[in-house]
Amino acid sequence: MKRLPGKIFSTALVKAGVVEATTERDLIRAHMHLHAVLPRLADLARLDDEARAIISEMNVAIEFFVPGGPKVVLHFKNSSVRAVRTGKADVCLMFPTCKMLNDMFDGKKVTPIPIKGVHRMGDLKKLTRLTDILTRYLKPSQSEMADKEFRAKHVELSLLVGLAATEAIATIEAKGRRVASHMPSGTMLYDVKGGPKAHVIVKDGKIEVFPGAIKDPTTTIEIRDVDLAVDLVKGEVDTFAANGSGDIKASGGLALADEYNALFDRVGLYLS
Amino acid sequence: MKLNSFDKSKELFLRATKVIPSGISGNKNPAFAVPGSFPYFAESGEGCRYKDVDGNEYIDYLAGYGPIVLGYNDPVVEAAADAQRKLGAAFNHPTPRAVELAEKLVDLIPAIDWCAFGKNGSDVTAYAIQTAREHTQRRKILMAKGAYHGSQSWCRHGLGGLIESDYEHVLTFTWNDADSVMDLVKKYDGDVAGIIITPYHHPAFADQEMPAPGFLQTLRKICDDHEIVFILDDVRAGFRLDMKGSHEYFGFKPDLTCYCKAMANGYAVSACCGSQPFKNAASRVFFTGTYYTSAVEQAASLACLDELVKSNAIEHMMKMGTMLMDGLKKTAADNGLEVRLTGPPTLPFMTFASEKNFRRSQLFSGEAAKRGVLLHPHHNWFIMRAHKEADIQRTLEVADACFAIVSKEFGKD
Repeated sequence: MKRLPGKIFSTALVKAGVVEATTERDLIRAHMHLHAVLPRLADLARLDDEARAIISEMNVAIEFFVPGGPKVVLHFKNSSVRAVRTGKADVCLMFPTCKMLNDMFDGKKVTPIPIKGVHRMGDLKKLTRLTDILTRYLKPSQSEMADKEFRAKHVELSLLVGLAATEAIATIEAKGRRVASHMPSGTMLYDVKGGPKAHVIVKDGKIEVFPGAIKDPTTTIEIRDVDLAVDLVKGEVDTFAANGSGDIKASGGLALADEYNALFDRVGLYLS
Repeated sequence: MKLNSFDKSKELFLRATKVIPSGISGNKNPAFAVPGSFPYFAESGEGCRYKDVDGNEYIDYLAGYGPIVLGYNDPVVEAAADAQRKLGAAFNHPTPRAVELAEKLVDLIPAIDWCAFGKNGSDVTAYAIQTAREHTQRRKILMAKGAYHGSQSWCRHGLGGLIESDYEHVLTFTWNDADSVMDLVKKYDGDVAGIIITPYHHPAFADQEMPAPGFLQTLRKICDDHEIVFILDDVRAGFRLDMKGSHEYFGFKPDLTCYCKAMANGYAVSACCGSQPFKNAASRVFFTGTYYTSAVEQAASLACLDELVKSNAIEHMMKMGTMLMDGLKKTAADNGLEVRLTGPPTLPFMTFASEKNFRRSQLFSGEAAKRGVLLHPHHNWFIMRAHKEADIQRTLEVADACFAIVSKEFGKD
């Protein structure tokens, strides 16, 4: 599928007044949805039995894209999921604007335009079941959060989404770009005591996020427990106060932590 | 030996977090030092030592982040402040102390003809860039990447509370790279109002860098050639390198100069000083604050500057700083470690040569604080006139124990 016709189509929709022009906020949110949220399906395959079972039945590449905007291709193969930003897919779902894509992630009724692989409705239904499971972890009910194991998975997925979402802030947002331009390269380990670990690799302003630990990180952020991590990912923790009280222990290259935290703090402005 | 503990500091910090954002704001927040192994709240000070709320005493090398240049509770400065306090602290008007202090600074510093007073370094660096903009009727300000010029929005680090227009006309160049300055001057030809620099590069979380030969002089020439105002932020180093200003130490002449920390031995006063051609522009900038004319601080500053001159304090501090730097290097080597000591002797800083992530520094500083010596792991240190050889010797004894701990934890270099 060539992108040009799609872009012309969406531009025409904007010109005709059918849809609004893309704002910086829409673009950032769309990037976050495609590059921070959807890739978590790969982690879901590791963390959730039901999701793993669904994924094991899938052998398909599904693309989400906004003409002139972000794109992700999710490869479901051999019981795992891989998210990449380029390449071909079996099924292509086009969202004419970033706003429409974001509306879908916000739970509004949006129908993307299937421009390839319409006949693979079965895979799309499975994908919907997976995103429903992911949504359950990212936006859990109070009763689900009472379960210790569920809470730990919620924290891991939310933390990975939040960390991955910093990339959009660092590359698209004008204010974020300023911080990223000053950010030293290095690695950061997030270690939730009694819970998950995740790490971030920052190189020349580029940010990559991975589950699990990394050896000899430049900076280590130890979080007291899962409960504190729940509040942290909700943006409800005064991190400076938590550092002083020992609830969060930051060690190593604090210049990196300081700059990166400025980006992380802004994720909540776009994702809730 | 019994190691210091910080229970009351932590208890007070928890109380603080309930009523003060972050508990302690800015660079004094424990997150910037070694939380749990560093004091959070001070109680009293005398000479080069102070006590925290737990009753722990430290030989101090942070000096309140710079202002304590003579020593805590210096009798001469305190007497001058007390005398003014009895007359009154703040009035509707300045007191004669303001004029006396301006005259003293103009007499002391050959490069300046006038002074305006604020309270903090940020007040006067902001005033200096406004004066540069007013003088040139231009917008852009150039500063070195990583440099700290205060907490006001034009130069503030981070993002909290800022909008793009706060800093859109502030551009950064690379320290010691005159070409990167010239590139910006060419790119924004006719729109660069000022270049603001510190006399040497002293960012946090990094080694300090002295100016490369000719760098500052080249900036002076660029400013002359392009009618740009050359601003020296001497807030941190002022009166610790040369009583005539740090520019004399490095051999260049700025147009505007900002002083603060060592002006008044802990009393809040700052000054933006300049040469005659910039005085009218400075007059047109509205520069005021309720306490900018407070007399107690100005009286303290008059006494402090006199004391610094009279006692030849800088020479003594240079000697103590050199002893500390040399001693740390040798003591580290004795423990199989290589350290870098950077900056001038009166404002030294130490990092471990084999790392860039400060883990050794954090362990070293935390252990030193537990043993009664305060050496910040991420921020340059300050020597005071009150430091004596015995204090340096004691510091080196403590450092020896701390280097041994670092060596055991991380291995020898």
